Amino acid sequence: MKKVRLLKKNQHLLWISMAGCLTLSPFSFVDAHKNKGILALNSAKVAVISDLTGAVLSAKDATPVVGASVIVKGNQRIGTSTDAQGNFKLTLPEELAASPVTIVVSFIGYEPYELVVSPAQTAIKVLLKESAQELAEVVVTALGIKKEKKALSYSVSEIAGTGFTQARENNVANALTGKIAGVNATGLSTGPGGSSRVVIRGNGSLTGNSQPLYVINGMPIDNSVPGGSSLANGLGTKAGTDRGDGIAAINPDDIESMTVLKGGAAAALYGSRGANGVILITTKKGKSQKGVGVEYNGTFSMENVAVFPDFQYEYGQGDGGVKPTTLAQAQATGRRSFGAKIDGSTDYVAADGKTHPYVAQKDNLKNFYQTGTTLTNSIALSGGNDAVVYRLSLSDLNAKSVLPSNTYNRKTANLNISAKLSDRLRAEAVVQYNREQGNNRPIAGDALGNPNWMAYEVANTVDVRWLAPGHDANGNEIFWNDAGIVTNGYFFINKFKETDTKDRFIGQTSISYDILKNLTLKATTTRDFYNYNFTSIMPTGGQYIPQGQYDGIKSDVSETNSMVTAAYTTRFGETVGLSALAGANTRQFKNNQFDFFGQGYTIPYFYSYSNLATSTATPVASTIKTNSVFASADVDYKNFLFLTLSGRQDWFSTLSPKNNTIFYPSVGTSFMLSDVVNMPSAFDFLKLRASWAQVGGGGPDPYTINLAYSSVPSASSVPLQNVSSNSITNAELKPFTSTTTELGFSTRLFGGRLSIDAAVYDKKSTNDIVSVPISGASGYTSAILNSGELSNKGIELLVEGTPIKSSDFSWNTSFNFAYNKSEVLKLADGISTFSIGNSANGNAFINNQVGMPFGGIYGYRMKKDAAGNIIYDTNSNLPLQTDNNQYLGNGVHPYTMGLTNTFKYKNFSFDALVDGKFGGSIFSVMEVYATRLGLMKSTLPGRENGLALKGVTAKGDAYAYTVPVANLRSAYYNNLNRYTELFVHDASFVKLRQVIISYNLPVGALKTLGVKSANVSLVGRNLLILFKKTDNFDPEQGLTNGSAQGIESIGLPRTRSYGINLNLKF
Amino acid sequence: MLLLPLWGIGGLCLTSCDKDFVEINTNPNAVSVPTTPYIFSKALYDGAANSGNKGSLLFGLMQYTTSYNDVEGFGSKYTASQVNATGGVFSNSYPTQINEIGEVIKAVKDDPSKVNLYAAARIWRVFCYSRLTDLYGDIPYSEAAQGYNLSIFQPKYDAQSAIYADMLKELETAATSFDAANPTTFGTSDLIYQGNVTKWKKFAYSLMLRLGMRLSKVDATLAQSWVTKAIAGGVIRDYADIAKVSYLASGQNINKNPIAWQLLNDNYLRADGVNNTEGGKFQEIFISSLKTNKDPRLGVLSVVYVNGVASSDESIQKGMPATINGTKPADFVTYSEPKQTTVLKVDAPLLIFTVAEANFLLAEAALKGWYKTETASALYETGIRAAMQQWDLISGVSNVIDKARIDSYVTAHPLKTAGTVAEQTEQIYYQFWVGIFPDAQEVYNNYRRTGYPALVPNVYPGNATGGKIFRRFLYPVLEQTLNRASYNEAVQRQGTDDLLTRVWWDK
Repeated sequence: MKKVRLLKKNQHLLWISMAGCLTLSPFSFVDAHKNKGILALNSAKVAVISDLTGAVLSAKDATPVVGASVIVKGNQRIGTSTDAQGNFKLTLPEELAASPVTIVVSFIGYEPYELVVSPAQTAIKVLLKESAQELAEVVVTALGIKKEKKALSYSVSEIAGTGFTQARENNVANALTGKIAGVNATGLSTGPGGSSRVVIRGNGSLTGNSQPLYVINGMPIDNSVPGGSSLANGLGTKAGTDRGDGIAAINPDDIESMTVLKGGAAAALYGSRGANGVILITTKKGKSQKGVGVEYNGTFSMENVAVFPDFQYEYGQGDGGVKPTTLAQAQATGRRSFGAKIDGSTDYVAADGKTHPYVAQKDNLKNFYQTGTTLTNSIALSGGNDAVVYRLSLSDLNAKSVLPSNTYNRKTANLNISAKLSDRLRAEAVVQYNREQGNNRPIAGDALGNPNWMAYEVANTVDVRWLAPGHDANGNEIFWNDAGIVTNGYFFINKFKETDTKDRFIGQTSISYDILKNLTLKATTTRDFYNYNFTSIMPTGGQYIPQGQYDGIKSDVSETNSMVTAAYTTRFGETVGLSALAGANTRQFKNNQFDFFGQGYTIPYFYSYSNLATSTATPVASTIKTNSVFASADVDYKNFLFLTLSGRQDWFSTLSPKNNTIFYPSVGTSFMLSDVVNMPSAFDFLKLRASWAQVGGGGPDPYTINLAYSSVPSASSVPLQNVSSNSITNAELKPFTSTTTELGFSTRLFGGRLSIDAAVYDKKSTNDIVSVPISGASGYTSAILNSGELSNKGIELLVEGTPIKSSDFSWNTSFNFAYNKSEVLKLADGISTFSIGNSANGNAFINNQVGMPFGGIYGYRMKKDAAGNIIYDTNSNLPLQTDNNQYLGNGVHPYTMGLTNTFKYKNFSFDALVDGKFGGSIFSVMEVYATRLGLMKSTLPGRENGLALKGVTAKGDAYAYTVPVANLRSAYYNNLNRYTELFVHDASFVKLRQVIISYNLPVGALKTLGVKSANVSLVGRNLLILFKKTDNFDPEQGLTNGSAQGIESIGLPRTRSYGINLNLKF
Repeated sequence: MLLLPLWGIGGLCLTSCDKDFVEINTNPNAVSVPTTPYIFSKALYDGAANSGNKGSLLFGLMQYTTSYNDVEGFGSKYTASQVNATGGVFSNSYPTQINEIGEVIKAVKDDPSKVNLYAAARIWRVFCYSRLTDLYGDIPYSEAAQGYNLSIFQPKYDAQSAIYADMLKELETAATSFDAANPTTFGTSDLIYQGNVTKWKKFAYSLMLRLGMRLSKVDATLAQSWVTKAIAGGVIRDYADIAKVSYLASGQNINKNPIAWQLLNDNYLRADGVNNTEGGKFQEIFISSLKTNKDPRLGVLSVVYVNGVASSDESIQKGMPATINGTKPADFVTYSEPKQTTVLKVDAPLLIFTVAEANFLLAEAALKGWYKTETASALYETGIRAAMQQWDLISGVSNVIDKARIDSYVTAHPLKTAGTVAEQTEQIYYQFWVGIFPDAQEVYNNYRRTGYPALVPNVYPGNATGGKIFRRFLYPVLEQTLNRASYNEAVQRQGTDDLLTRVWWDK
């Protein structure tokens, strides 16, 4: 225990330097050996002989430690290792045998132990204590730099790859849900292959991107959604489709570990791109071994709709209290449940033209959606020798959504080769090719082409299957309700044709060369490139767009980074260590895109871009370049006090040449208090840390500096031109800054049984580059300004414990909690509020308002007088609306938590994750329509005798009016969409997110097949909602990964999934 | 300190780090210097398209069309749930035609050689603003569309009285500034007159006549002075001078007649009379009226589908009642709808200012004694004839109304000169209603001003107005948040942002 000795020697000095902060006497510390739990027991014996025998046992349970090395300190050639019983015999040469020697006993997973053996001793027994892993643990930080955890001055969270492979999410980012304090991850309700939304420590930008940077093996990848994120009010095939993000392409089986740098100092080396935090993914590498290692992983899972609305089933299809008895009436009221009392009568006619008994149909969601399935097969081959190691993996994921016709396939091939070309020269290459193909991704947002609208809105006495197949013999949509824009879901399933293909190549190569033993030069270049093709056919014969419509996107997107670094490490004597790094990077992002749009298939039912009556192909190009230089230095003082400094300078092509560069500094320190102060014996260690960092960035979009003019497609001989953008350009644009201060501590107690990590942070974005929505009367709809200020403050807590640990049974538990308070400090001069999104039909708005949290839900309330009476408009007999700027809830949950419990018994393990989010709200478009259409229980009043309204008039007179049954829908309930507040609910929830029951098969019987290990698990995701406040939908029913959260808009229902996972190693 | 020597690695970058940035940050699909005539053409297309005529709203309100459904039927039913739809014209217009015409004016106004371009652009700007203020009342005007030039992101709203004063002044200045000797015009980019300065001048005075007459209710004296000035300047009286924008049968949507395209797209693409997308049909009141008066336009405007074939047989034409409450009627197919070869013809020109309108306005001026050169009855008759004749312009001679039928109609409907001024005004604006169709917005403007035609409002359950035809459109709801102070100031001055609040000239 070299460190301990050093400490002892310098204890006094340290006390002086650390004076004042501690009250314990510097002289009262106990034996460091005891404190570290190391015991040496002598079996007394006195003789000068050359053989030293002994046993090495685990201090915990006295079991033998097999393979431990026993060496003479300073003379490694003299050594041996323990046998299967933990025994060893060390023969000392005569010159050593006569005097005391220092013996070092070590083994992986245990703290090394040194003891001085006097010539009198012939046999010793050593109890090795399991290492408090934190001390030795190494984590990957920015730019792939590995650091000891204790040297970290900021919070870093790590998840091992196994956390993603058993109960898997197609999109690996969704698997972060509930696992890391401060990471708010949500999957979208957009089917397999959909995007994720991950926000670390609150939204960092008022209108720009707030999602983290994803980095694989030290280099960034692209995480954009081709053609842009779907919109909360997205209408039609392009704006309403979630085409999947970049991280969705990563195969969980290839992940060795994932590390989350929550921002600030942790991400400072990424400069402009680290402002929202960084998620580092380290992929698996091969190992030097005999033969080829083969690993197979297979998962089959099924999913079903998990949440069903609590609708009324007292009054059935119809309007004005009358049920339909003709086809025309049935078609007109296809979505209306304002009919007669459901009485089982037999003269009821539905939109299929047939007579049915007038009875409630409660299973429409079950009947419309199917059981979704996902089958994943991955195989990895790995191996190598001392010079070259490789790992090749192939994976295929095949998913069928709960929505028939919606499928997603992902094939991934990943090859990782590392070579040690000489003692000084190393090379590594990682290539990944993958192909993602989606079919009929469901349109969400608004009604047109959204298959879910029918499932959720069909009248409650209609069995939705009566409306299948949704088209006639000619392929034309069958009319089923009053609004043609509400597509028959079966027509979507059977006739819409959406396909998207993404061919993606990620290549990384690096060469590093050790100029000196402690000076390494490294050059890395990476390119993430994809070629994307999206075509979405709204077919001929639809009710709303009878001649059909075409949407297409073709894009080539690339993210290229080239980096050189020089890394230097040294120690100055025994006291000061230095590792320094300097480098330069150039990044180029390019998107060459064509958007295709057309209407009217000239030859009906023939779906080619060449067959459109009206068509446009619009080029969208963007190129962004950022050049950077950076450096960092890590200094440690006697391995207990650490200081990290970093600096980075970025130059942005997107900014005005006058102001296109900025320097980002960061400083951090960590201090192993337990190495200096005598802690109570319960503490294994206690570390304090503090950091301060500035990161920031340039404009997110190119071409926002100068006004430009573009041609407008026109068929006439007269050319047309307009300003290129509805956004006001800004020639003065300069970088924005995000400053984070973070304090924290981590500790481990009771021999590793309990560990606590806590952090508080204060993050402030200033000069945020905001695309400020402005009054259209300005001639533009937004202005790009350097004006935003946004604050996020929060706390994070991680508690991990091992309440029970024995050789057969163990229980591990881990709890994380985070609270983030966001506040919009400034938008722009004279602008105190603006909207970043709204629901379909503008019934609810997601606004940023000064003094309020980021992304609040705003809208209308009913006007009430001081006594709380509703004020009615005597013209319309409806409550008066307030203005639309009423704060109705936070669109983002400020509180997040997760609790994982893992039980292991022999070869079995049981793992359950419960997570919760609290304090946010959600506006439900589904409930707006279910109210207008009479499905909600809240629409029951007035069905028999009319609805008596009571309140006051605007003048303050008493008001009373009875809405007759005949007009109940059209005169009253249909108009309740005017009052946003009715449809905003607390979105807090607690979910049983994940359960894994796993069994390691005894491989004895399989050994002949070459199986080295086998594991089978039963897995489930999103199994139960333990707590929610929304009666009719899952509060996580989001449909866009854009900034405007807090709107449910009749996307694909959330599902629960369950399946089986098999892992075999050969 | 430690970092400084390491900076060397990037040192080469410090001087050359941004050398290609200007090029990289230049949009390859855009130019930095505008071609003004091309923007002018765009402004003409947009100004013609973004008006109250787009969609079914004013067509419903003026009782030309209706639908059994509440969304499409909003205009004819005033359904409370749809009131925010009225904000659309405002939000669509500023970032398009208003900003575009501002770009044009910015580029030409200080160049004396472009005086004719400047004058035409000013006239078009007046046209565009007049369409907006007539619908909303007070609107951003003096500070509008200055987001880029002056960084005005929250333009104030000007009082409609001030806007009218400025628009009329602008028309006068522009009309008198034309220089016929200067050959520089917008030429073919001028989709209305192909650079004909004389015709632009007539258009300017015609707009002056229209806007001057608009003030008759609120300030008769002021109205009279502008009407007199307009007449003296010379308004559009000849068929060849009609202000119109021409369109194409195929190509981009912007190249299609916006009224026809929107009606067609909303309802009538299938052309079978059955599966009308939004349940739209002609309204009963309009068709009955044409029928009762044996109006020869009936067969030109309207068809009924019989066994899937469009029939113009006047005897079977009938409009759909606006009172149908949400249910598609069983006899839906038997109702009249717009004719594909006339009202729905996408390559028909859009008439901006017609001979018919000039004559009707002059007839009213004559009735009021502001114009004495011609008689009200002669002007009225000329107006009717011009209104009937112009369908050949719209339909491209395929639907020319027989002169004999025009004669007999005119004979049957003379101006009742013996009647009161009110009775004669009613006659004129009844003819305006049937004659200026499909410019529903101009019909709406004159309806509000004169009260004619005497439309009977629909009292529909769940209507927002208590069964009254609304008097203005609502501002876009976004203005309440993005331009709050200006919005509040306007509401303070004009009255509640309500469908029944009257605009200044309607008070």
